[in-house]
Parts: sequence; structure tokens; C-alpha cells
Amino acid sequence: MKILKVVWKFIKSFMLFWQDFLVGDSPELALGVLIILGVAYLLHNSGILDVIAIIVLALVLMIATVWRKTRHHS
Amino acid sequence: MFTGSTVLLMVTVMAASAVEAVEALTIILASGITHGWRSTWEGAIVAFFALAAVVGVLGTTIIHHVDIDVLRVIVGTLLLIFGMQWITKAILRSSGFKAPHDEAKIYEKEVEELKKEKHIRHGKRDSIAFVVSFKGVFLEGMEVVMIVITFGLSNGNDYSQLKYAVLGAVIAIAVIAVIGAAVAKPLSKVPENTLKLGVGIILVSFGMFWMGEGAGVKWPMSDVFILILAAIIAATTFGLIGYFKRLHNRMQHGVHVL
Repeated sequence: MKILKVVWKFIKSFMLFWQDFLVGDSPELALGVLIILGVAYLLHNSGILDVIAIIVLALVLMIATVWRKTRHHS
Repeated sequence: MFTGSTVLLMVTVMAASAVEAVEALTIILASGITHGWRSTWEGAIVAFFALAAVVGVLGTTIIHHVDIDVLRVIVGTLLLIFGMQWITKAILRSSGFKAPHDEAKIYEKEVEELKKEKHIRHGKRDSIAFVVSFKGVFLEGMEVVMIVITFGLSNGNDYSQLKYAVLGAVIAIAVIAVIGAAVAKPLSKVPENTLKLGVGIILVSFGMFWMGEGAGVKWPMSDVFILILAAIIAATTFGLIGYFKRLHNRMQHGVHVL
């Protein structure tokens, strides 16, 4: 049981480390990037539309994140 | 052989490594001055080799076992997340919504914290110095490791890019270490925010490009389109800095904003 607890504690702290590393205090960024990836897969045969969608979504994500954070910091 | 993209890769990795190395140096200095240098150096050196092992094991495994398109999606996604994090932080700092990163202040705070610890053992093995130094170097270095691996493996089953990425990181870390040892104080004058902003723009541009390519998107003009992406991201970034700087100033003067 003691070993299980130690292993669980290690797994938990390992997962928390990666969560903090990749998501941190901006969960919308990680989620937004995954949405952009999904859209890229969906539209990848649609000519120039995929390129435009990726660029527009990335810019919207960037602006929305900064906007949310300025609300938080003010 | 050095090509344009290799030089850009090395410069980006060097800038990212320099930023993180400056932050790790502050922790090493605080630990060394309060708890002695022996265990502090041991902690830093062990962390450095642990990071090198992560690059070696992870890099080699990925090169041999992951399909190029899957690799590009993973690399692109990670770079896009890191880049966006770096850019948003840099915009908030440049516009005044977030305090600038001040190594001197962080150093003073760290020294105060470490002085409170009992059992300071100058000249002998000190577990606190070892752990603080190890954690500082390992955690700050992990971001560099991810950037080195993702940038280094962007060409797929080819070690040459990884070698240049590692070389860029090692050069930057060595330069910061030598300067840090010479001045023996935190490097507050390194323009961390500007470096973060520049690196963030490059990471986002490459991240979008590789993620799209991995997903099957055909970018116009092939690799050259990365420059167009960088220009679009840079223009938006500086536009946001300008807008939010004005917004911050208006708020400072008590003007009601939405």
C-alpha cells in the first residue's frame, strides 16, 4: 500500500507538472490551439480556405487571450 | 551546412535558451550565496545532465519511431502553445498590465527565502542548496528542451537540425554562465521581454506552419510562407501592444473603459 501511495503521488505530481507546463494559467490557449488543429484537419482539402482559417483563428486566439488577461490584471 | 532556416533555428534557440538561462542563473546565485557553492553547483550540473539525457532519449526515440506528419502536428502544436504563451506575456508586460520581469527583485526575494532556512552548511554538502539549484535549472531548462526537440526534429528523420538546435542552446547557456560567473550578480540588463517577444513570434509562425503541414494543409509558396506568417503575427503583436498600452494609460488616469 505504501508503495502504491508513493507511485500515485509520483504520477500525480508528474501530471500536474505537465499540466502546469502546457496549460498553466491560460487553458484557453491550449484549447484554442487544439481547435485550430481540428479545423486544419477538417479544411485541409479546401484550397486556400484552410490557410485563411488557421491564420484568422490564431490571431483571434491571441487577441482574446490578451484581452481576457488584461481584464484579470486590471 | 548552414542555410537560412538553420541560422533562424539557431538564433531562436539561442534567444530562448538565453532567457531561461538568465532565470536559472538568478536561482543558482541566490542558492550559492546563501547556502554555499558546492551543493549548488552539484545540483546545477546534475540538472544539466538530466536535461541533456531528456534531449538524447526523447529526440532519438521520436526520430526513429514517429511518422513525419504526426511529428509535425505534435511539434507545431507544442510550438504554437509555447509561442502564444510567450507572446501574450510579453504583450502584457510591454503594455504595462503585468510587471516587467525583474531579475534583481527575484534574486533578493530568493535570497531572503533561502536565508530563513536552517542548517546552512557552507563548504559541506547542503541538501537545500542542491534541491533549489537542481529544481531551478531543471524547470527553467525544460522549456528550452522542448524548444530544442521540437525545432530540432522539424525535418523528421534527420539529426542535423537537432544538432544545430542543441549547439545553439549550449552556446547561449555557456555565454550566460561565463557572464554570470564574471559579474556574480543577476543579469537584470538582458532584455528578456524583447527576447521573449521575438522568440514568441518565431515559435508561433513555425508552429502554425508545421501544424498545418502535418494536418495536410498546402501552404502557398512552401517554406517562404513562414516569413509571411511571421510578418502577420509581428504586426498583430505590435498593434496589440500599442492598443493595450493606450488602454493601460487611460486606466491609470482614471478614464473609464469597457
